[in-house]
Amino acid sequence: MAVQSDSGGKDDVKTQFVTREGTYRLMTLSEYSRPNRVGYTSGSGSSHVRVSLVTLPPGPEDGAPGSDGQGSDDRICFNHGKELYVYVYRGIKKAADLTKPVDKKIYKGTNPTCHDFNTVTMTSETVSLIIGFSTGQIQLIDPIKKELSKLYNEERLIDKTRVTCIKWVPGSSNLFVSAHASGQLYVYNEELVCGAAPHYQLFKTGDGYSIHTCRTKSTRNPLYRWVIGSEGSCINEFAFSPCGANLAVVSQDGFLRVFHYDTMELIGRARSYFGGFLCVCWSPDGKYVVVGGEDDLVTVWSFGERRVVARGQGHRSWVSVVAFDPYVVGFVEADRDPGGEGGQCYRLGSVSQDTQLCLWDLTEDVLRPPPRARASAHLSPNSQHLSPNGVPGTKAPRCVKTNKIGHKHVELSAAPAAGEPSGAKTAVRAKNNSTLGANTSGARGKEEAGVSLGAHLSQRLAGFSFGERRSEHRRNFSLGKPERPAAPRTPAADPLRLIGSPACPRFDECPVLEPLVCKKIAHERLTALLFRAECLVTACADGGVNTWARPPRPERRRDRSDLVD
Amino acid sequence: MSICQDLGLNFQQRMGANISQLERDIGSEQFPPNEHYFGLVNFGNTCYSNSVLQALYFCRPFRDRVLEYKAKNKRTKETLLTCLADLFYSIATQKKKVGSIAPKKFIARLRKEKEEFDNYMQQDAHEFLNFLINHINEIILAERNQSSLKLQKPDGVKENVTCNGSIPQNTEPTWVHEIFQGTLTSETRCLNCETVSSKDEHFFDLQVDVDQNTSITHCLKCFSDTETLCNDNKFKCDNCSSYQEAQKRMRVKKLPLILALHLKRFKYMEQYNRHIKVSHRVVFPLELRLFNTSDDAVNPDRLYDLVAVVVHCGSGPNRGHYISIVKSHGFWLLFDDDMVDKIDASAIEDFYGLTSDIQKSSETGYILFYQSRDASC
Repeated sequence: MAVQSDSGGKDDVKTQFVTREGTYRLMTLSEYSRPNRVGYTSGSGSSHVRVSLVTLPPGPEDGAPGSDGQGSDDRICFNHGKELYVYVYRGIKKAADLTKPVDKKIYKGTNPTCHDFNTVTMTSETVSLIIGFSTGQIQLIDPIKKELSKLYNEERLIDKTRVTCIKWVPGSSNLFVSAHASGQLYVYNEELVCGAAPHYQLFKTGDGYSIHTCRTKSTRNPLYRWVIGSEGSCINEFAFSPCGANLAVVSQDGFLRVFHYDTMELIGRARSYFGGFLCVCWSPDGKYVVVGGEDDLVTVWSFGERRVVARGQGHRSWVSVVAFDPYVVGFVEADRDPGGEGGQCYRLGSVSQDTQLCLWDLTEDVLRPPPRARASAHLSPNSQHLSPNGVPGTKAPRCVKTNKIGHKHVELSAAPAAGEPSGAKTAVRAKNNSTLGANTSGARGKEEAGVSLGAHLSQRLAGFSFGERRSEHRRNFSLGKPERPAAPRTPAADPLRLIGSPACPRFDECPVLEPLVCKKIAHERLTALLFRAECLVTACADGGVNTWARPPRPERRRDRSDLVD
Repeated sequence: MSICQDLGLNFQQRMGANISQLERDIGSEQFPPNEHYFGLVNFGNTCYSNSVLQALYFCRPFRDRVLEYKAKNKRTKETLLTCLADLFYSIATQKKKVGSIAPKKFIARLRKEKEEFDNYMQQDAHEFLNFLINHINEIILAERNQSSLKLQKPDGVKENVTCNGSIPQNTEPTWVHEIFQGTLTSETRCLNCETVSSKDEHFFDLQVDVDQNTSITHCLKCFSDTETLCNDNKFKCDNCSSYQEAQKRMRVKKLPLILALHLKRFKYMEQYNRHIKVSHRVVFPLELRLFNTSDDAVNPDRLYDLVAVVVHCGSGPNRGHYISIVKSHGFWLLFDDDMVDKIDASAIEDFYGLTSDIQKSSETGYILFYQSRDASC
């Protein structure tokens, strides 16, 4: 109509775009959606279509029940409104066949909001899919075998609010984590029951968060409840680091909080320039956490330095998904320096409510620490997580008792926290990279073995550094700026005091990146972005899941070994 | 004590069920002490006034100054400001926590003050806000001049009276200035001589164009985009002493205590010879900083909290309804004339707008009130 005509022309939806590596093309035949999309109105504005993809291990022979005999081991799951679909995902090779979903579910009175495949227990014939719902319940199904169906929080006694993010604990066959709009995060064991309304007891508390367990004799769900951030501020997303040791959580209160998952220590945080943080991801090597939010920015936080190192400005509205592209590595690599540490370049993607896809190059010159010493910044209250000797990891694994329930991979997790100072890191990074694309569980065993020593060492160190850290912490307090608040409980949580600190630099104090490309690729706001070896996958609020073929380049470096150095 | 009659206000007791519903929603223990949630009765298309008044009432610095004014000015002649002060005072001193009030005297005075509002037609809420803020400010200035003239006689010299004895020029800001006034600096670069000239101007609110699927942050950035002055709109360059093509941009130099943002949702369409509502989806965060500040801005990273939104419901400027949502003591309330409901913060997204133009009617944020966080404590 009238209004349509004045805005429709200039911003056409793109079906291809060019980057330095070539042209990405929309594969129009590879669009996944509900089988009969015409006439479907998405209704309310909160249609958050999410996509989960999994590559099943190849079956013993062809023609296993799970694969439809068409040669693809990939499965795609997406939700739209009340519906949830699982299809064989044929990528760019073949057109999508929407007539034969592997599984489809239509729910009454609740909408699926998020889901995750378990990559540890999957076989060519079975896969566990965990699904969170808008009313708080959680369902476990096997979309291939269809025998399995378990419910958690069925009576909504644990949490009544929307599940905002759900993920299997990396490397675990039975543990999963669900985040809720209530600002709480629960650890479940799929083998345990939920039972009556839980009574919690405080297990651990820290700056801006507390962790509770159920007060029962028998072990039951939820194993843990994490209460994060200011009261009732929705947890929008969380992400485990590639090594599985650290958990990054973003909330509506504008904070990124990075925890050591097993010790449950807060090891770092960042604050949005303003508004809530909506999405989070880790760089493939675990060195950077990237978040997007209501400030329309993509914010890059360095795990090693515990500071915001760059902000990307290019979106015209809130950033809904950020993801690293592990398959594109920097052209900086050409002049590969022997040290191996310097020439790192990352490709980052983001999609937004502005219907645009942005790709970003994070280059070394941006990520490099600033030349001047940041001594003054270290005095600010939020730098308390830095232990005195400047090795952040040393304090992390001080809570040994956490590994009693379910936290099976405690050894492996301690390493990356301690792992920043170079030595051990390169090895870890190499392994991380090997697990990148397909999330293979095989690498995990090796990792565990290689790393347990480091954990012991850092645990011992922790005994020393803890007391020291305390005193340092207090010293910071006495040195503190005159504007220190009366209540010292969460002094660092006040954004008015955080501005200008490493957790939230002033806008002109922090490098501002421009996107490599910024293209409008949909009519509706975008809600998902995944990078695959051959393609990228986007989804938008109208329920369409699109596949974009990467540029055809015979000599392209898709080989994973190229990622390592 | 017939204060009600005196003020010309009618107090209405709404159906008990509804009132207790709001109180039940909030919970008697959570109900903030000394706070009152009163709807405003509609006198025939006065929702434009009701919605703006509610929003202003919950801009605490403004409410406090109005009540202060009420306390200081006992018996002055009736102005729109005294009527507003009486209205705010009567809300603030209600015995009941919730209910509704008829702002009869205020509306009557408004209709006397400004011809355009003296009817039962739909009015534009932003025009009303603009009028009200400016008018109140003029009243304060006029009263200050009067009192300073009086004071001048005994004291001899008064600071804000100019030396040559002409009409006193009040350079000192009023409390309306202190709350709403910000400064824009417009920098113009003549494309002929390259001279950059800058000029400051004050504002009580910023009027921004809306784009589909954007954020208010983006709209504000566009507001400060560089524009080229050419053709009929050339710039008179003092250096060249002639009209020249020039580039101009406006950025915020002084950030106000309360930042009022007007989304220009009524667009004149020549082919229809009337205004069309632009229902584009424009998201607005609960927290805001500005990107479009000038290099010499005093407080460029001032942090704002959304405190109130005037929402336009309907299909066009002349058909529709205004409501407002406000934040009070950590929760959100929806004021729809005489009705008040507690809403969840997540319901605010219903007022961002529409992503398609198929639907004719929409409920969209129209005026946003952001309050600086350093003001609230």
